[in-house]
Amino acid sequence: SRVSRSQDVPPEVLRQREVKWLDMLGHWDKWIMKRFNKVRLRCQKGIPPALRGRTWLYLSGGKVKKEQNQGKFQELDHQSGDPKWVDVIEKDLHRQFPFHEMFVSRGGHGQQDLFRVLKAYTLYRPEEGYCQAQAPIAAVLLMHMPAEDAFWVLVQICEKYLPGYYSPGLEAIQLDGEILFALLRRISPVAYRHLEKHKIDPILYMTEWFMCAFSRTLPWASVLRVWDMFLCDGVKIIFRVGLVLLKCMLGTREKLKACQGQYETMELLRAIQPRYMQEAFLVREILEIPVTARELEREHHSQLKRWKKNRGELNFKSPPRMHGTRIIMLAEPPRRQDLQQNPTILV
Amino acid sequence: MEAIWLYQFRLIVIGDSTVGKSCLIRRFTEGRFAQVSDPTVGVDFFSRLVEIEPGKRIKLQIWDTAGQERFRCRSITRAYYRNSVGGLLLFDITNRRSFQNVHDWLEEARSHVQPHSIVFLLVGHKCDLEAQRQVTRQEAEKLAGAYGMRYVETSARDAINVEHAFTELTRDIFALVRSGDITIQEGWEGVKSGFVPNVVHSSEEVTKSDRRCLC
Repeated sequence: SRVSRSQDVPPEVLRQREVKWLDMLGHWDKWIMKRFNKVRLRCQKGIPPALRGRTWLYLSGGKVKKEQNQGKFQELDHQSGDPKWVDVIEKDLHRQFPFHEMFVSRGGHGQQDLFRVLKAYTLYRPEEGYCQAQAPIAAVLLMHMPAEDAFWVLVQICEKYLPGYYSPGLEAIQLDGEILFALLRRISPVAYRHLEKHKIDPILYMTEWFMCAFSRTLPWASVLRVWDMFLCDGVKIIFRVGLVLLKCMLGTREKLKACQGQYETMELLRAIQPRYMQEAFLVREILEIPVTARELEREHHSQLKRWKKNRGELNFKSPPRMHGTRIIMLAEPPRRQDLQQNPTILV
Repeated sequence: MEAIWLYQFRLIVIGDSTVGKSCLIRRFTEGRFAQVSDPTVGVDFFSRLVEIEPGKRIKLQIWDTAGQERFRCRSITRAYYRNSVGGLLLFDITNRRSFQNVHDWLEEARSHVQPHSIVFLLVGHKCDLEAQRQVTRQEAEKLAGAYGMRYVETSARDAINVEHAFTELTRDIFALVRSGDITIQEGWEGVKSGFVPNVVHSSEEVTKSDRRCLC
């Protein structure tokens, strides 16, 4: 099983962290607006496993969305979906994390909830429908929270964090591929030149990384740490992970000697050495990559201009990307009652 | 150390979602059947050596893509089709719709492959599920014939005809390379010679130099 102990944090440290997180969740808007750097730092250290699901719901703004749309999920849940989507979703249910105990049995609770969440999304955004890369995202969420919460976090990821990723035509993903490549030039010129020389289109190696937010690439402990940071700070974390992996795998001339060709390079990127994906190493490297949301926006702007010049207007207009929890809260401000906690376990 | 090969062929595997593309490739390259496989997101690739005649090895580079229509974008399809010399077009014999879509897949391939061409093999997959069959062998053979393709029925689960499908396609391509109908071209990934510089064309010469290299 890929699911392992998340980290070797001593129990007493973990208890202290949980107390701090419970305090933050209890005064969420104040912490986000006034002490966001502290929240970010704590996300970088890793959210305590017991509070991860609840925190993801808060970080993504899914909690506010859910409270402001009460009854919506239930309404969608009761409708039968468009057979066109239902058919594809049903075929994918047993293919998400099949070794996780939650998803192991056909028709079991995990698979049923996965169906409910994905089907609800196709009814919520009929023009988007279902994209197969949404299933692993929803599955990771369901490992941490009930179906209704997972639905709203999925909505936030699809619309705020990664807008356009799951729309037909893959335009947003291709654009981000170009952005990633442009950033690589500065982060690792050696890797950049190699990929350029062998004409390896970013779409060939980054599609699964980005569309599944690394949930199918990294070891489990690292997936969770990356998602903690991603939901706090937005897509720049995904870019940074991509840059770390490219830099580590293709960043020196010695490494490139062994892969003189397009296929050899792609093979290398498909089998990333475990030490580069190990939790502690990866998190440290991610934090050291100097790529900010502002730079991403600047690069996005220039790549979009290039795109329009070469290929014309985009076919699918996506809402603007929101870089993390703070901006989402400003865009969708919570009412007082929205942030109230509804604990499922009373101590 | 890499085993020595005469040529490298790049093959693609296409067809609707869940017809079993990834499972077929895995059976061929890894020799085992995966009960479940994640839906492919983007592209994936595999390789294997095939000995088509004693001492004559071909390295197959096999590209797998997502079947869902959503993943078909210009960048992927171009990279995918243009640089391939052969392809397996799969449908699921228990899924009539996947058979009806064979035309669309061929159309897409044709529109992207110019100025090159691809040697296709039509594959009716999951032939172990005879009881659920929705497409007869006769009609599949007829369709394949209309497009000038061979037809093979395979099962990744029971390892039926998997070797045969890939080997037959490889032999067909090899014959076209030997006859000069397909030539190695600079900047095209479809066929590559295993020797540098790319001056050896006659298979006899290749075999000799092959032996020399092994000494």
